[in-house]
Amino acid sequence: MLLEVRAVTKRFSGLIAVSNVSFVVAAGEVVGIIGPNGSGKTTLLNVIARLAPASAGAVLWKGENIGGLRPDQVATRGLVKTFQNPQVFAELSVLDNVFIATHLALKRQLGVRRVAELCGGGRAAEAALRDEVEEVLTLCDLTAATHQLAGNLSYGEEKMLGIAMGLMCRPELLLLDEPGSGLGREELTNLATVLVKVHAAGTTLCIVDHKIGFLRGIAGRVIALDHGEKIAEGPPDQVLDDPKVVEAYLGTTRARA
Amino acid sequence: MKLGITLFVLLAALPLAVRSDFVLTIFIFTFIYGILAVTFDLIFGFTGQLSMFHPAVFGVSAYSTHLLVVHAGLPFWLATLPSAAGAVLLAVVVGSICFKFRLKTFYFAVVTLAFAEMIRLIVLNWNSVTNGTLGLVVSGRPTFWWPGAGWVAVRGPVAWYYVTLVALAVTVLVCVRVLHSWMGRCFAAIRLNEDLARTLGVDVFRYKLLSFAVGSALASFAGGLYGYYTGYIDPGYLGINQSMEILAMVLLGGQGTLAGPIVGSLILTGLPHVIDLRGELRAMLYGAILIFAILVMPRGIVGSLVAWRARRAA
Amino acid sequence: MTQLVLGQVLNGAIIGAMYGIIALGITLTFGITGIVNFALGEFMMIGAYATYALAERGLPYPVAVVPACLIAAAAGYLSNKAFFRFTRNNLVNGLLVSIGLISIFESAALLLWTATPLEMSYVLPGAIRLGDVGLPKMKLVVFGVIVVVIVGTYVALARTWLGRAAFAYAQNPEAAQLMGVHTPRLETAVMLYSTGLAGLGGALYASLYSLEPAMGGVYVLKGMEAAILGGIGSLMGSLWGGVILGIIEAVGSIFLPTAFRDAYGLAVLVAILLFRPSGLFGSE
Repeated sequence: MLLEVRAVTKRFSGLIAVSNVSFVVAAGEVVGIIGPNGSGKTTLLNVIARLAPASAGAVLWKGENIGGLRPDQVATRGLVKTFQNPQVFAELSVLDNVFIATHLALKRQLGVRRVAELCGGGRAAEAALRDEVEEVLTLCDLTAATHQLAGNLSYGEEKMLGIAMGLMCRPELLLLDEPGSGLGREELTNLATVLVKVHAAGTTLCIVDHKIGFLRGIAGRVIALDHGEKIAEGPPDQVLDDPKVVEAYLGTTRARA
Repeated sequence: MKLGITLFVLLAALPLAVRSDFVLTIFIFTFIYGILAVTFDLIFGFTGQLSMFHPAVFGVSAYSTHLLVVHAGLPFWLATLPSAAGAVLLAVVVGSICFKFRLKTFYFAVVTLAFAEMIRLIVLNWNSVTNGTLGLVVSGRPTFWWPGAGWVAVRGPVAWYYVTLVALAVTVLVCVRVLHSWMGRCFAAIRLNEDLARTLGVDVFRYKLLSFAVGSALASFAGGLYGYYTGYIDPGYLGINQSMEILAMVLLGGQGTLAGPIVGSLILTGLPHVIDLRGELRAMLYGAILIFAILVMPRGIVGSLVAWRARRAA
Repeated sequence: MTQLVLGQVLNGAIIGAMYGIIALGITLTFGITGIVNFALGEFMMIGAYATYALAERGLPYPVAVVPACLIAAAAGYLSNKAFFRFTRNNLVNGLLVSIGLISIFESAALLLWTATPLEMSYVLPGAIRLGDVGLPKMKLVVFGVIVVVIVGTYVALARTWLGRAAFAYAQNPEAAQLMGVHTPRLETAVMLYSTGLAGLGGALYASLYSLEPAMGGVYVLKGMEAAILGGIGSLMGSLWGGVILGIIEAVGSIFLPTAFRDAYGLAVLVAILLFRPSGLFGSE
């Protein structure tokens, strides 16, 4: 079991965004989190990745309570999150963006020896990293844009870049915050393909989205949130047919005969 | 890189062609200020932190190098090492305080300015050690070992020219290596998008501190050299005016580049000598250049050239 | 001892009120226009030297003050038109442009008057006795004027249409424009007011203390400290910040070495920024 979210609650002075949510993610899974806008999905992810502290409850990563850690420490441990509004280094090229993300990989690979890079050494490691960067770019369908400035990319490409950077950190669990939002149908299909490939290569995924169809295709298990509370959990088809979930999305119960 | 090596060779050959002491002197000052400007750019242009603390490191190192030579009997080059260590210590203490509390750019500038002022006041008033406003007269000379001649003192414009040129070259080399390494990438990440850098595993605090420390360590050499070259050290070295000159050089030449600060240094060092200006007019010129650079040419000379070339290639 | 402390408190309050005027100017400008005018101290210097120059030409002091303020305000207007308005919401640029302007103004003053400190002949000699304590009349007058100005500013901002418009603009420039607030005019008004006020501070300063070209730089740093101390979002806070700073410095030099007087304020500033970044009266 990689990630355990235990009774997490998040309050914003009076407003309860997340209320007593618990779930686990095991290695190798693809877990989807769905819910209408305002159900607390993004806040939940932010708390898990330690971008915001929890008001109550605990988040455990591989058994360790990560509540007191900084975001970069969480990332170092293998838990990486992408942003809903794509965050990139706008002034750098796509290649450089992904290259910056190799920082963690280099640290894990070389440790203290990476100081040798300062003296001109470490060429072999850099070459290997370059190969990996190209792999990630190919995987995310960004090879054509390799030398373009990140600031000039289309929205969809920016989102892919965000994912590429997340992947470059070689995470064990990748948290994706609404990767599909703002994407057209074709881009969405591309995204799904990429995520399936990433999962097949060994990364556990936890995807938050409100596009039900998209998640239905790739998630093995789905958790539904509404108003900050968990209202359903299980295989996608089961959850999506759950009347509570339908009501949360549509707002009203269907008229009974 | 190739351009840099070509330039270095050209500059090294310069004294053979040019006999004028006047020109050599300009270059000597250019090189020393170049070290200051380049190291400042490491912190400001590359890592994005507007620090007003640089002159404090410069000034303190000038004093400490000289005092170590006089009171501890160390040869010049040996004395620069503890000075550099002291500079790093200062930088780490001030930097830790500032970065720990996540001061945003503007407040960071103000607090580093406050710290620099505090240190300047200490230097100004610690008469027993620093001789206060009167300053210290430096009469020694750095010595180094030359094959065949033994220990030789650095004397005369030509010798100083080479010493400072080499010092600048070494500084630039170190910066190049740092910037092309994973460290440099982290600096860039911090400058462009701190929050994103954090989620990608960059320990922002540590790297800001690192950039601050490296920049300060290298700048301390400039302090030692300057004191010995001019033969005089006073608390003015730590003043806001120095910050302003360094800023003007970096902004005019081009922040975020390594050549830019050196170009800026050359222009601003050479200009007052070429155009004979009184001190006040020179200060006005600095001010005007600063404003011009910020408003009209924010990329600076070198930066604008690079951007222009990139546009032509596209 | 009481005489000493009380005297120093008054001194500190007066000087602090001047810090406060600069602080108010900086906060007001930044809050409403998003421009950092770190060169505000220079306008104080302009006001001070203009007053001196006019008085030297024979104008009686109270009359000289008015044109001096206008000159300072005019300089402020020009600076805004030419430079500052391009640095809106860009703190670093504003800071750097300010530093450039400080250099230019200070050098100009050096050229015109040299670095020799200048003193105006006594404007209002004599002191009032309050029991054991003697309070110089001019200082009291200056303090009184400053209080009037401060109260006036407060009333103008809190009660009038202009003040509310100013804050609407600060919150949301576009919305304010749509509601009929003439934004460039507002910007100009704020600039004129803050620099004119600084000029007034300088004119008052000239009546009490000796002038030197570097005074602008000193005062703006103190003003900045005061603004941050009081809380950069709070106008009255920045005024209080100034007074508190002035008193800290003055009283501090009784008990600790005078040479480090400037450092006390700096130390307090650093402490405040670290532990309570919103300042003493700030809201964030």
